[in-house]
Amino acid sequence: MKKFNLKEILIPTVSLFVICAVATALLGMTNSVTEEKIKEVAAASAAEARLRVCENAENFEEKTDKNGNVYFVAKDKDGKTVGFAVTTDDKSYGGKIEVMTGFSADGKITGVEILTIDDTPGLGMNAKKDSFRNEYLGKKGALTVSKSASADNEIQALTGATITSNAVTRCVNTATEICENALGGENNG
Amino acid sequence: MKIALSLLLTAILTNNFILCKFLGICPFLGVSKKLNTAVGMSAAVIFVMVLATAVTYPINLLLKANSLEYLQTIVFILVIAALVQLVEIVLKKYMVSLYNALGIYLPLITTNCAVLGVVLLNIDNGYNFWQSIVYSLGGGIGFMVAMVMFAGVRERLEGCDIPKALQGLPITLVAASLVSMSFLGFAGLVDNMFA
Amino acid sequence: MAEKKSIGKEFTKGLIAENPVFRLVLGTCPTLAVSTSVSSAIGMGIAATAVLFCSNIVISALRKVIPQKVRIPAYIVIIASFVTIIQLLVKAFVPALDSALGVYLPLIVVNCIILGRAEAFASKNAVLASAVDGLGMGIGFTAALFLMSTVREILGSGTFLSGIKDLLAVFSGDIQFNGFTIPFLNENPLTIFVLAPGGFFVFGIMIALSNKLAERNGKPKAELNGCASCPMASSCALIADGKKCEEVDVK
Repeated sequence: MKKFNLKEILIPTVSLFVICAVATALLGMTNSVTEEKIKEVAAASAAEARLRVCENAENFEEKTDKNGNVYFVAKDKDGKTVGFAVTTDDKSYGGKIEVMTGFSADGKITGVEILTIDDTPGLGMNAKKDSFRNEYLGKKGALTVSKSASADNEIQALTGATITSNAVTRCVNTATEICENALGGENNG
Repeated sequence: MKIALSLLLTAILTNNFILCKFLGICPFLGVSKKLNTAVGMSAAVIFVMVLATAVTYPINLLLKANSLEYLQTIVFILVIAALVQLVEIVLKKYMVSLYNALGIYLPLITTNCAVLGVVLLNIDNGYNFWQSIVYSLGGGIGFMVAMVMFAGVRERLEGCDIPKALQGLPITLVAASLVSMSFLGFAGLVDNMFA
Repeated sequence: MAEKKSIGKEFTKGLIAENPVFRLVLGTCPTLAVSTSVSSAIGMGIAATAVLFCSNIVISALRKVIPQKVRIPAYIVIIASFVTIIQLLVKAFVPALDSALGVYLPLIVVNCIILGRAEAFASKNAVLASAVDGLGMGIGFTAALFLMSTVREILGSGTFLSGIKDLLAVFSGDIQFNGFTIPFLNENPLTIFVLAPGGFFVFGIMIALSNKLAERNGKPKAELNGCASCPMASSCALIADGKKCEEVDVK
């Protein structure tokens, strides 16, 4: 192999390059078709989730608090604040979980929606069931998880999925903090 | 530090790539019959996982800056394939002893879903550079732990009296099921340690 | 291919005799990972079949153009492109499937069935035969996933076809059918079956059953000859001297 064989290097390089170029062009085309649609779907599902957690809201106003947290203020058709919707996530145990929590104007929880859950399929999926999510309704302040919920600020853990219950509750508690800050801001300003 | 440690333990124990996430099953079943091959293969996987993460992280920033995220899959798999080839050539030429220990496993790793998986998971989970590296390292070590443990189990299985229909692959899978069940016990560990 | 098989045979071999999952033991990662619910299993099966069908056609059409030296990277590029196209389409039109499959959707790229068929079949056969082979293998893969997930979902969640509404929404948003709930099991699910250990266990039992059936028909057992079916076999130093991975001793 003393002599540099141009043909032996050039042909594979060129053919691989052509394949890559064609592939990328095709992908670019597909992307231009689907990009808008994907954004639309994401926006629509977020809007839908907001409506589910704040039932009597007409429209939402996006705001950012001083800590950089984004939250939505729910307004009714007269422009009066009826609640808040906050999306929070938790990834302390590896899998990511994203929860949207809705609050009434006085800071009570009006709805909990699990947006993404990157848990082992199966166990964590039960968190999406109504029976679990309804545990949060009407509660206020920091919540804790227990095996047999008796006190007002306790959530009964999902059977066999204490970890997921904890993660969801952490998300809700973070959301509560953001909401309380927002409430304070609304009252002062 | 706390985050790094919890990420590491999560990737090794609670979310073990093989036993909980089903990534890298082919080598798990195929190369775990002997302890030393299992160790060699997993060492190569750890090496490639961390290297691939270090290389793909800046590439992803580049893709993101140009809003070309949709090219992730194709770019990453090519980068990993090229990287593996490159490492193989370098090792073969300059570090012959290391090549003899790890190099022969390298081609198998290109199409190992654990490597592409860890790179994609790092991005999905929104880790920063160091968190990604730690998570990949944990994933790789977890891979090794599972492989080594399972190699031990399989050596015990040899010479056992097993029903005919279950001999070979089926009993291996049932054994894998039991090993995986033992890893379920770690589920609350990291969560409670750092709570 | 020493003998020419008829097109019909190319199609049916992937279903039973050479079923990629139960007979060739390929694509084990997605088989175990997404078989927790029938809907996501069907979704994964269709996505992988589409990729396999398209990549087999393109690779077969280009088999005389692609230089031998760079064929593996070329195949990977072609397969990855189709995977990305499917990924974008799924994200746009079946978002529920995208979130159900998660990282396993882009991981179709490294599904050994696809690269394996490219190397073992499409690179040596005509376009029509390759297309049919891809379709047959894809449907065989889907059928295997369907079987696995049926057992796991019914025992583990007490439902069947739950979440199918989101898949059917592609055709029409008005479909209200969303699967069955199994009485008793729904209230007392054997959750272990949808967890990782259940996956390994059900897969083991399925292989044992298929081995039993194969034995009755005088066929060999399914063995994990990882290397023989591994798409990287040709470039792998391990088997250069005709050994299996497992038999190689490393000094």
